[in-house]
Amino acid sequence: MVRYRGGDAQAFAVLYARHKGPLYRYLLRQVRDAGAAADLFQDVWSRLIATRGRYEARAKFATYLFHIAHNCTIDFFRRDLIARRGAFPDGIDLQPEPEVPEYQRPDGIAELAEQQSALLAALGTLPHEQREAFLLHEETGLTIEEIARVTDVGVETAKSRLRYAIRKLKKSLVSARIPAAQALRTRTDLKDTLVNGSA
Amino acid sequence: MDPPDDLEDYLRRDSALSRQYGREPAPMPPHALDRRVLKFSRYSQGNAPYLAPLALAASVLLSVALVLAIAFGPQSAKRADDTPHLVRVAARADSDAHASLTRKLARAPSDWLADIAALRRAGRNDEADAELRRFHSTYPDYAAWELRRRPGAPP
Repeated sequence: MVRYRGGDAQAFAVLYARHKGPLYRYLLRQVRDAGAAADLFQDVWSRLIATRGRYEARAKFATYLFHIAHNCTIDFFRRDLIARRGAFPDGIDLQPEPEVPEYQRPDGIAELAEQQSALLAALGTLPHEQREAFLLHEETGLTIEEIARVTDVGVETAKSRLRYAIRKLKKSLVSARIPAAQALRTRTDLKDTLVNGSA
Repeated sequence: MDPPDDLEDYLRRDSALSRQYGREPAPMPPHALDRRVLKFSRYSQGNAPYLAPLALAASVLLSVALVLAIAFGPQSAKRADDTPHLVRVAARADSDAHASLTRKLARAPSDWLADIAALRRAGRNDEADAELRRFHSTYPDYAAWELRRRPGAPP
């Protein structure tokens, strides 16, 4: 990045090749929409390019890049929330998303499990702060301290988010261990399985 | 209370969860997106970021200079000679040309001085003085000592 800041155009291509995959997957799995992820991906790199003159090599480049990505996704979620609120007529107060919304709703997991792996389905049901902590660690190998820096929170908060994320993911995977395609024929059957423990 | 080894086990990156995540498909950005980002970076490289503040500073400096020139320029600080520069140059050229022409039409200095001396000898001092003034205006650079050196020059 320092070379790129100094005017070495090739250095950007190297940076881009190294980080494009993790960044894209982080965004895709955070916002769970390919079009929005592509827009955000472009936005992140544009901001990086525009602010390269201010870059200081004080930490890993990944923390700098993913801090920009974090800010972009926060903006996205805010815009998304405002748009969804705006879709309702006046007088109807749309409650914000519950902190643990889908995880305790077996039908949510089952629906997603039909399209993708149980892990990704369970990941998609986590609150985005917990999902973010997990993705940052898995995709970039950032430490707890670095995740805290990227997400502008204290180390204990970052640690707590990651701990909750892995615990919920493990639990979800245990619940979904019975392969949906084999054991269940209908969505109702799956629901019964996850809620009552019997097919 | 949280199980103590839950997070630490996971952070070693050899946990079952990490291994399972590693087996998931790893989608990459579409090529069109790659091209767009790389194109943007090349375009931006042409506009080096450190040039932007310089360009801004130069613009500000020029603007301030222009404003100052308008506010405190030729209109406010009147010159002693308000004639526009080009006109003054032309006037000077004209006056130089006029002096040169006068010199050409006038008598030679030696003849002229001889005439003045003759006037003085004849006691026509007023006329001699007048001629001497004209001589001076025609030949302003003619040194006084030259005048004195001339035979019959006024004392």
